[in-house]
Amino acid sequence: MNTITDTPDWAPRVITLLAAGMLVVQFLMVAQRMLITNVRLFAIQSLLLAGIAAVTAWSHDNPGVYFMAGLTLAGKVFALPWFVARLVRKIRIEKEMQPWINPPTAMLLCGGFTLLSYLVARPFATAETAGANTFGVSIALMLIGFFLMINRQQAVTQVLALLCAENGLFLAAISLTAHGMPLVVELGIFFDLFVAVMVLGILVYRIRATFASIDVERLNQLKG
Amino acid sequence: MILTGIVILPLIAGLLSLAVKSQPWLERLNLLTFGAVAVLAATLAGEVQVTGVVSGLNGFLYADALSALVAGLIAFVALVTGIYAIGYFREDERIQKVTVRQTRWYYRLTPFFVFAMLLVVLTNSLGVMWVAIEGTTLASVLLIAFYNEKTSIEAAWKYIIIGSLGISMALFGTIMTYYSAVGVLGTDASASGLNWSVLAAVGDKLNPRAMRLAFLFVLLGYGTKAGLVPMHTWKPDAYSEAPAPATALLGAGVINCAIYAIMRFSALGTACLGHGFVGNVLVAFGLGSVLLAAPFVLVQRNYRRLLAYSSIEHAGIMVAALGFGGQLGALGAVLHMTFHAVTKPLVFFCAGNVQQHFGTPYLRKITGVIHVLPWTGGLFLMVTLAITGVPPFSIFQSEFTILSAGLAANRGWATALFVVGVVTIFSGFLVHMSKLNLGTPRSEAPIKGESPWKLGAMVIVAVVIICLGFWLPAPLFQLIEAATKIVGGNP
Repeated sequence: MNTITDTPDWAPRVITLLAAGMLVVQFLMVAQRMLITNVRLFAIQSLLLAGIAAVTAWSHDNPGVYFMAGLTLAGKVFALPWFVARLVRKIRIEKEMQPWINPPTAMLLCGGFTLLSYLVARPFATAETAGANTFGVSIALMLIGFFLMINRQQAVTQVLALLCAENGLFLAAISLTAHGMPLVVELGIFFDLFVAVMVLGILVYRIRATFASIDVERLNQLKG
Repeated sequence: MILTGIVILPLIAGLLSLAVKSQPWLERLNLLTFGAVAVLAATLAGEVQVTGVVSGLNGFLYADALSALVAGLIAFVALVTGIYAIGYFREDERIQKVTVRQTRWYYRLTPFFVFAMLLVVLTNSLGVMWVAIEGTTLASVLLIAFYNEKTSIEAAWKYIIIGSLGISMALFGTIMTYYSAVGVLGTDASASGLNWSVLAAVGDKLNPRAMRLAFLFVLLGYGTKAGLVPMHTWKPDAYSEAPAPATALLGAGVINCAIYAIMRFSALGTACLGHGFVGNVLVAFGLGSVLLAAPFVLVQRNYRRLLAYSSIEHAGIMVAALGFGGQLGALGAVLHMTFHAVTKPLVFFCAGNVQQHFGTPYLRKITGVIHVLPWTGGLFLMVTLAITGVPPFSIFQSEFTILSAGLAANRGWATALFVVGVVTIFSGFLVHMSKLNLGTPRSEAPIKGESPWKLGAMVIVAVVIICLGFWLPAPLFQLIEAATKIVGGNP
């Protein structure tokens, strides 16, 4: 009876599968306008990311990456989505306005970004790491995250887009080097991310209080 | 020991100030901390000149001539801003623009802000440097939203969103750098693979394809923090909405952190790729910033935004100098960074005084500042000449060095465009500032006594500016020379 772990190259396969899942979730986010659903999609994406980190840690036997997988699980799957979801409930806004570019066109554009990412990633394929596929996905996540930040007009979605772009960066670090960045750097990045979301939360409250809306479109007085 | 102290001290002061409520004590704590940091930074600079490199905390902290120089500049800016802030916020409270509760947060956030800036230049790891630069954004965003008006919240939102977007690109560049480092050093070096002391030694062996991508992304990312065109859009908003002391910290402190990071990566990129590619990209971004800032300076109606465009211009000048390259270009960049950091705080202080007194940032509503606020008006005129590079002030020297570097690098057209940009900005500034400061004041406003704290800080900076115009002290020059060798790469 063969189990999956007996296959010699099971780890890269599972990682590629999970990375593909992350990309699918990112595409769903491009089409989705309900805020709470977007938060949940982010949590799912982070769960897949934690899975990739765990598989990488297992196949390279690296305790540091296990630690980062645990931190991703605790921080990005539970703590941050909980915080953002609470924010969404408190400001009582469920759905966001029409984005600049309508969802079908946006999907098409994001497909283009993915293609571009694979072209950029191709030269960096090496046998020992998770391979060019995962690296390609990570660049795509980053680019689509940036695109979402520009395309969406709503403060909370911009925060989520930033978090997704950061997921892509974390994936890039793992897929390129198999053990991620030095631990102190990873911890620092995580800390920054947490503080950033807190600060953004404070600002969202203030925007809500002063503008009676959280559409970033209203932030348009400063010019020249 | 000194190195550890200089980084830890503001952090401890920041944590301590969270527990303090009385404003006089917060003011004292701030001033004492920044004073001590300035003394330590000067000692560190002395030590670096003797030993070349100082490291601390098991190699986590690292200071060479370049880090010591920039740390010294940050300490100087923090100290004079600390002095000025006391007068500025007391006045703000007197005219009831802010409450004591709000001011408290200024004094609590600035130590963290300064801590992050010092960590940027004194850490060995390029990864921790990234973390610290993002830290400067996070520590300063609430300072931009300080006045809690619609416009200041808008500025803060743009600042953190554009800043985070940019800085993620820098993180991607850092990851690519790490990838090429691991390729050279093997996985054993995983903990030290981002350390500058390790990377600088193997610069020529790094994977060029990865480094090219890394350099581009890092430049885009840290260029956003420095305010290079086209990632500059947050700057006029943030500079016009933040209280004047916070603007001084941003415009004379954070900009140096960003340029410092670009200098490190340009040295690394040059070692790996040769100067051709790196130089072209840097010149394009630098020159673009100078040229785009020029028309905005000419048509500007708001003097706080005017200063932001001046800051964009100076970031462009420094990056263009790096792009011209060679020892001369590196010298120009380091000199310009030094002189700009020393001169810029006074510009922000004068603008802050004018806005506080007249209550408006619009140029057309104010004339004859020199009659109403004689010190502010006089110093404002002087520092306008200094910041736009009129001799005998020191920025003239650095800009002249950069011009020679451009000609020496056979970039005649770029140099000519550079001159056009700088001269246009000079004339624009001169017109705006003479209208603002000279002429007859609108109302028969009485001559007003100026706060000794504000005036003290301004006079200190003014004296330093004038002295540097005529005399560059030998130890400082040696430090600049040593830093130039690091930026330009040892020939």
